[in-house]
Amino acid sequence: MTVSFAGFLDRDGMRRRSGLGPLVAIMAALLLLVAGGTDARAETPILQITGAVANQTPITLTRADLEALPQQVIETHTVVTDGLRRFEGPLMRDLLAHFGAEGDEVVARALNDYEITIPVADFEDYDVVAALTMDGERLSPRDRGPIWIVYPRDDHAALQDIRYDYRWVWQLASLEIR
Amino acid sequence: MKGAGPFLRSYGGPALLIGLCVGLLIFALWRLAVIERDMRIEATENMLWVISQTQMEALRLDKAISDHARGTADEDRVVLRYALLLSRLDLLLQGPQQRYLARIEASETIAAHDTAIRNADPETVTGDAAAFAVTNARLEENLAGLHATLNRAANDTMVREWEAIAERLDAYRAAVWQVIGSVIGVLAGWLMIGWRLIANERQLRRAEEERSRALTLEQALRRERAVSAYYRDFAAIVSHQFRTPLAIIDSAVQRLVRRGDAVTAADVARREGAIRDAIHRLTRLVDTALLAGRLDSGQVSVKPRHCDLAVIVRESCAQFRALNPERDIRFASAAATTTAWCDRDLVDHILANLIANALKYSPESAPVELRLFNTGAKIAVAVTDYGPGIAPADRPHVFDRFYRGETGGHSEGSGLGLSLARDLAQLQGGDLGFETWTGRGSVFTLGLPRMFDPDTLPGEEGTQVESRLVNDEKEPAR
Repeated sequence: MTVSFAGFLDRDGMRRRSGLGPLVAIMAALLLLVAGGTDARAETPILQITGAVANQTPITLTRADLEALPQQVIETHTVVTDGLRRFEGPLMRDLLAHFGAEGDEVVARALNDYEITIPVADFEDYDVVAALTMDGERLSPRDRGPIWIVYPRDDHAALQDIRYDYRWVWQLASLEIR
Repeated sequence: MKGAGPFLRSYGGPALLIGLCVGLLIFALWRLAVIERDMRIEATENMLWVISQTQMEALRLDKAISDHARGTADEDRVVLRYALLLSRLDLLLQGPQQRYLARIEASETIAAHDTAIRNADPETVTGDAAAFAVTNARLEENLAGLHATLNRAANDTMVREWEAIAERLDAYRAAVWQVIGSVIGVLAGWLMIGWRLIANERQLRRAEEERSRALTLEQALRRERAVSAYYRDFAAIVSHQFRTPLAIIDSAVQRLVRRGDAVTAADVARREGAIRDAIHRLTRLVDTALLAGRLDSGQVSVKPRHCDLAVIVRESCAQFRALNPERDIRFASAAATTTAWCDRDLVDHILANLIANALKYSPESAPVELRLFNTGAKIAVAVTDYGPGIAPADRPHVFDRFYRGETGGHSEGSGLGLSLARDLAQLQGGDLGFETWTGRGSVFTLGLPRMFDPDTLPGEEGTQVESRLVNDEKEPAR
């Protein structure tokens, strides 16, 4: 089910934010609800998207919702861990496009009340991922989960800069599109 | 290696200087590159913030536990705050953060606290109020210890970071001073190189001046040598030529004296012819020698004007006919215009020389022919003799000064005449050439410009002409 859902979505169509975008988003949300399993944890909302999204209606997402989106793998070093780490999760730009988010910047808030404004251009310029796992293990609030915004730091010298390091929001809880 | 010494002496200094400048520049650039690389803030320099965030999470968990005890917070809030604290501790005990804490000897203590706190996990006892309270009590106990540890760690971190910043600034300052020193060194090097260049330039100019002075001296010396050579040759050859006509005169007079009263009118007439001929030869020789001397010392002035060349040639012919009544001297003009731009005195001299030569080098029975004709921009006089012609070995030397043909059999002649004639022709913008056929005779042709041409002519009257002797080259005979 999830696989076929990912298959019929036209990525470019989403990126252009055509008039069809919101409709597709609503359909996708419905499909996701159906796709959701019986796992209690999977049903717990972990991310809220507010602000300039389709119909101006706040969207609440479970882990399963996020896992249903096309997954991207990033292998990179981080500034707070040792060694090469493998992160997996949906691309931030896919996530935003999927829910018809239209704005120039995103205010990311974490469980620990950390709050940072990230320009949407970051997600267009780089393959920034809303990572759900690190090295194949689910991220949890007890480390840096459930969601960690991860930049492909190793692939771009420009990203090896403290001005990007502070945008790596961990324990991500909500996104406000502006 | 003979050349190594001088090479090192003249180029060693500048090369060393340039090498020094390049070395200093590379050093400065390297120092700057090191600073650039070092000017990157390490994440661990954020340690104070990381520790303070952990401290804050510990306090918030503490507060959640108290609130829960007072009934103003539910179990979920305690569990969430617990998870967030664990997350902070996990961060502290990982990678660069852990290594930093190890350096300030706080990592083991914090790790012990982390273990103890993880052993009191409230999430495992949710729903069981009694067990939850027990776990919370254990947590509170451990949190008190964590507060103290984190406080000390924050203190140590602050001191350490300030020390690190100060050290780094010291290092930057030292590096910047080294760069400034290097740049000053490079500038000084450049100044020295520039100064050397200017000094070299001045030295070169001085050498140039000395060389040109030496050249002038050498030219003067060559002129002196040529003059002395001229007089040596003059003494050797010309003096002999002076003696011949004098001897003729002397012998003629002696014969007349010996006969005494027996001298007849016919005798006197015969001797008189020989004497006059000798005197005429002597006069011409003196004229030629003097003219050559004046030419060599640059004292011959050319005064060209429009002259009728036909008149000049006709008069020369008449003069020679009078002196040599037995000879057949012919003149014919084929020229449409006969006016030339020349100095009459000099042309007279050239013609006299050519006619005298033609008479001398041809048998008495043969005529000497003069012909006037136009050729291009010039008007020419050709003097033809029917003598034996000039031997091939002598041809290249016809116009050489003091050169006398060895095969002609004639011992007369100074070797000055033709050389002087050609110089005089060229002084007027003209030329003198010859053609010769062995056994048949020779033609000497004097070409003169028909009108004034500023490019080839000394136009102003009295122009001083540079001595021909200085110029060693002789143009080959035509």
